[in-house]
Amino acid sequence: MAYIDASNISKSFPAKSGPRHVLDRVSVSVARGEFVSIVGFMGCGKSTLLNILSGVVPADTGEIHIDGRPVAGVSEHASIVFQNYSLLPWFSALENVRLAVRAARPQWARGEQRKQAERYLSLVGLGNAMHRRPNQLSGGMRQRVAIARAFATEPEVLFLDEPFGALDALTRANLQQELARLCSAAGQNVTTVMISNNLDEALLLSDRIIPMTPGPRATLGPPVAVELPRPRSLLHDEHAVRARTHVVESLTDHVHAANARRARMQSRTGSAESAFVAADSREADI
Amino acid sequence: MVGNFVLPLVGIACAGLAWWAASAQVADLPSPLETWEESKLYIMEPWAKRGEMDQGIARLAYYSLLRVARGFLLGIALGTPLGFLLGMSTTAHRMFDPVIQVLRPISPLAWLPLGLILFQKSEPAALFAIAICSMWPTVLNTMSGVRAIPQDYWNVARVLRLSRLTTFTKVVLPATLPYMFTGFRLSLGIAWLVIVASEMLTGTPGVGGFLWQEYNSLIYSHILLAILTIGIVGFVLDRVMGVAEAKLRSI
Repeated sequence: MAYIDASNISKSFPAKSGPRHVLDRVSVSVARGEFVSIVGFMGCGKSTLLNILSGVVPADTGEIHIDGRPVAGVSEHASIVFQNYSLLPWFSALENVRLAVRAARPQWARGEQRKQAERYLSLVGLGNAMHRRPNQLSGGMRQRVAIARAFATEPEVLFLDEPFGALDALTRANLQQELARLCSAAGQNVTTVMISNNLDEALLLSDRIIPMTPGPRATLGPPVAVELPRPRSLLHDEHAVRARTHVVESLTDHVHAANARRARMQSRTGSAESAFVAADSREADI
Repeated sequence: MVGNFVLPLVGIACAGLAWWAASAQVADLPSPLETWEESKLYIMEPWAKRGEMDQGIARLAYYSLLRVARGFLLGIALGTPLGFLLGMSTTAHRMFDPVIQVLRPISPLAWLPLGLILFQKSEPAALFAIAICSMWPTVLNTMSGVRAIPQDYWNVARVLRLSRLTTFTKVVLPATLPYMFTGFRLSLGIAWLVIVASEMLTGTPGVGGFLWQEYNSLIYSHILLAILTIGIVGFVLDRVMGVAEAKLRSI
C-alpha cells in the first residue's frame, strides 16, 4: 500500500442551483518520501482535494489512508502551508513557530521548543528577523515563517496549498529553491503533496506531476514522472521540456474534451463557448 | 494649531454665551460668573470634607468614580464571558439574543428599585444598576469580535492541533481584544451615565448625590458645578479608554 492512499474521493458543496460537484471519484497514491504536485487550472478543485487529503475538510465519499491509518481530522504527523501564510498577527515570527512546536511536542522543555523554533527560522534565513511581527515582514518573509513553522514540527507529511501563489516572481524563485533544499535535507522522512497552477514550479520541485482536469466533477489525469537530477535549476533540459509539454497536452486535451461535451450539450451558444475556451486556456499559468 | 485649539475654545465660548443668555432670562438659573463665585470653595479646596455631602468636588468625583469602577468591573466581568459564549455558540446566541434585546433598552431608573428589592441596601443596588446597564455594549462587541475572527485563524488552530484552551488564549482572545475594548469603552460611558441616576435615588455621597441634595437645598449654582464635573470626568474617561483601544488596534 502506498504511503498516502486516497481512493474514490468525491465532494460536492451545496449551492442555490443544486449541489456543485467539485470532485468526482478522485484517487491518488503517493509513495513514502515522494514529492507530488497536483497541477491544474484555477478553481478546478485542487485546494478542495488538498483540504480533504490533509483532513481539514471531510470528503463526502471515499477513503484516505496515510501510512495505513485512516485520515480523520488533521494528523499530528502532518503540516500544512497555505497560500495566505496564515500567521497570527499578534505574535512575532518566533512565537508563531513556537506555538506550533509547543502543540506538536508538548513533552519537550520550553527551552528546547524555543531552540527548535529558532533553528528552523534560521534555516529559512530569518535568524535576524524572528522577533518581528508578521506586519513588519514582507510577503516572502511571511511565507518563510510559515514554511519554518511547517518544518519545525518535523512532519512526516507536508501539504502545500499554492505556497508561492501570492508572491512576486523573484521572491517565488528564491523560496522555491529554499523549499527544494529543505525537502532534500529531510529526504525520505517527509512526503509532500503540493497544489500549484505553476508548471515550472512543479517541475522544479516534484518527483511526479498529476494534472487535474477543470471542475466541476474534476478528476486526475495520468501522472508524469519528472526524472531530473537534483538540485534542479531553470528548466531548459530536454526532459523537462518533454515533461512540460506532456502535462500541458494532458491538461488542454481535457479542456477540449470538456468543451466538446459542453458544446454538444448546448449547441445554441456555440460562439460564447469558444470565447470560454480561450479564457480557460489563459487562466492556468502554463 | 488653529483647528486644534482655537476652534474648540470658540465652541466653548459659544456654549458659555448661551448659558449666560439663558440665565438672563430665567431668574433661578445662575449665570456663569455667579456659578463660579458660589462654587469657588468646592473647586479651590477639592479634597475638603466638611460634612456628608458638603465636600470638595474632586472628593465627590472620587466617590462616584469608585462606585462606577466597581459597577463597571462587575458589568464587564459578567458581560465578557457572556459575549464569548454568544459569539462561539450559535445555540446560545439564538437562545439569549431576544432576552438581551429586551433587557438592553431598560433605563437605570427602572433597574434601581428592582436592585433595592433584591439587595435591600442602596450601595449594592446602585452597583447592580450600573453593572446591568453598562454590560450590554461589552456583551455585543465581544460577541461580534468572536464572530469576526477570520477563517484563517481558525484554520491555524485546527492545523496546529491546538487544544481548546490554547485556541482560546492564543487565537480567540487576542483576535477579539480590540472589539472587547471598544465594548469596554462604551460600557464605561454608560456606567458613568448611570451613576448620577443611582446616586440621586439612593442619596449616597458622590457627584450625583451632591447634585440632588443641592437641588433640594435650592443652591442651583452647585447643580451646574456638578453637571460640568460629570461632563468633564466622562470626557476624560472616554479619552483614556480611547487611547488604550487605539494601542490595541495598532497590533
